[in-house]
Amino acid sequence: MKNGFTFFLGLFLAVALAWAGIVMGSHVQLGHLAPYFDENEGKAFPERMPGIAAQGQLVYQDLGCAACHTQQVRRPDFGSDKARGWGDRQSVARDYVNQAHVQLGESRVGPDLATFGARPLAVDASRLIQYLYEQHGGMPAYRFLFEERKITGERSANALKAAAPAGYEIIPSHRAVALVAYLQSLNNVYEYPEARPVEPAAAKEGESK
Amino acid sequence: MTTAPQAATAAEVTEIDTSARWPLLLLLGSALLWLVLSGILALVNLVQLHTPELLAGCSAMTYGRSSAIQETAFIYGWAANSGLAVALWLLARLGGAPLRSLNWVVAGTLFWNFALVLGIAGIATGDMTSNAWLHLPAYVLPMLLVAYGTIAVPGVLAWTGRRKEMTFAAQWYAVAALFLFPWLFSIAQMMLVFAPERGVLQALVAGWFVQGAWTLWLAPLALAAAYYLVPKITGRVIPSYDFAQLSFWTLLFVGAWTGGRHLIGGPVPAWVATIAVVSCALLLFHYIVVAVNLRGVFCGGGSTVLKFVAFGLVAYVAGGFLDAYTAMRGVAVHTQFTHFSEGQSQLALNGAFSMLMYGAIYFLAPRITGLAWPSVPLIRAHYAAALTGTIVLVVTLIGAGCVQGHDLNTASIPFADIAGHVRPWLLAATAGQAILLLGNLLLATHLFWLAAAKSAAPAVFDPAPAMEASVS
Repeated sequence: MKNGFTFFLGLFLAVALAWAGIVMGSHVQLGHLAPYFDENEGKAFPERMPGIAAQGQLVYQDLGCAACHTQQVRRPDFGSDKARGWGDRQSVARDYVNQAHVQLGESRVGPDLATFGARPLAVDASRLIQYLYEQHGGMPAYRFLFEERKITGERSANALKAAAPAGYEIIPSHRAVALVAYLQSLNNVYEYPEARPVEPAAAKEGESK
Repeated sequence: MTTAPQAATAAEVTEIDTSARWPLLLLLGSALLWLVLSGILALVNLVQLHTPELLAGCSAMTYGRSSAIQETAFIYGWAANSGLAVALWLLARLGGAPLRSLNWVVAGTLFWNFALVLGIAGIATGDMTSNAWLHLPAYVLPMLLVAYGTIAVPGVLAWTGRRKEMTFAAQWYAVAALFLFPWLFSIAQMMLVFAPERGVLQALVAGWFVQGAWTLWLAPLALAAAYYLVPKITGRVIPSYDFAQLSFWTLLFVGAWTGGRHLIGGPVPAWVATIAVVSCALLLFHYIVVAVNLRGVFCGGGSTVLKFVAFGLVAYVAGGFLDAYTAMRGVAVHTQFTHFSEGQSQLALNGAFSMLMYGAIYFLAPRITGLAWPSVPLIRAHYAAALTGTIVLVVTLIGAGCVQGHDLNTASIPFADIAGHVRPWLLAATAGQAILLLGNLLLATHLFWLAAAKSAAPAVFDPAPAMEASVS
């Protein structure tokens, strides 16, 4: 360690090699990945999310939802993601190509949300909004995404079925609506060519018997 | 009887220590304020995990944001400030000359902490990014980078201007940390925030950065302290010292490749995870050498500093083995996405890093101030609290992770029931975090008491061991 230059070069290489290997290596492999165009359907998958869902993704990000929710389904024989109804196939890199802010997440205090929009719970937006207003299991209520507003004339169509002082109603803010739109947009269940692991033929035959 | 300790004091505390007093106290003081803040938030977060209604109405304290603030305060507040203080002091001592350009440290520290306050206010009000260990909003990142560089200047000067050609392991680790963090940090800023990569490449960059920030920055800072304190206090030469260099380069070259272990089974190329698994196993060589080199820490007699260091080293090495174990796919399928991972990161951050820093702070603060710690029982109380708190926290989180992992992978157990099964473990973890916080409050109070004491009894140190001659 007497030679300062060699030492410095070593430090530089330590960062550069790992960066080149992991970051640039996967960049070479995935950097040009494009949505998959299905001629039968006449459109490309994954589809771009609607504008309001893209706004909702920012709400998801700034509230830190990823602290408790992952958005990555593991393959059927690795964990019980499929059995829990979180997705029939594993998530693949192509699922995320259109996303400006990828939220893979590292913790499953709450359920995985990669295909949340395709589940029965997500069909009805007003139900999801109600869900955000109330505490459910381990998920806190997000009351700050709602406004208490004085009723003038008719009750608003989007008012929640929730206890409010007389003459007042609870209205979801635009952020709540956008967040729900984002959650509903997480419904990419399209079967990409690479979306299934290659299963050994013998195992498959065994299952069918 | 009194002349001998006083003579020892004169030899032990020199211009090198006292000239850096205020800049280093500024770094350490800020570090401890952040540590206490992050401890309070960690406590809130743990309570929120089993009692979600706590502070749910407050948008700044919703779990997602407060956990990001907690992590940021710990890493960029406590770890960065304390690690830099210790690294600068080590480099000055081992370089054999007082630190130069200390005004840079003061200016850099003020800017660093100002940017951090601004960034944390940003996270609380909705400017958080989605990257682990890099939740800070874009507008403070360049300022943090410049401030870090400014603080590091005297350290680099102490390295390049050292009096002896010969260098020590503590210096390699300290210099590596000073140089490597700005590179990692600037690349991560570019590729995640300013010109973000597309799709899952973001997750790969983030994984590389988080692992790099640990193995190329925080772990070297902690090891620098350990490699200095153990031989210095025990007065013994480091055994198998020849291997230390190989171990150092193993950590640097292999460490950052292990980041992909968090992405096992994820939507990323499988080779990333495979390389991570192999790298985790290779890195065991580094952990074994650290254990062999620094085993003298257990022969420290009654030294309180060495008790902290011993715990930190055990946690560091145990953490390394645990990382390698959980990187195996068959294990990862149960532990990933659970509190187990959180337990591992607490073992590394609170168990290894913080403990080594506490040891270093107890050693260096009396030397830079020239005053003895006002209260020995307070140090013992902190040690007891830090030890108990960390063990309870880590063990219960790992226990919670085992239960959670088993339940998650058993599809017949309804998802809603898992929280109930994990709850007792999380309650115990909350108690552990509370004890840890109490201990850290003691340390913070003690340091401010020491800094405020003007005419207390001057520090009396044990006569310097023979090793000292070759160092100063």
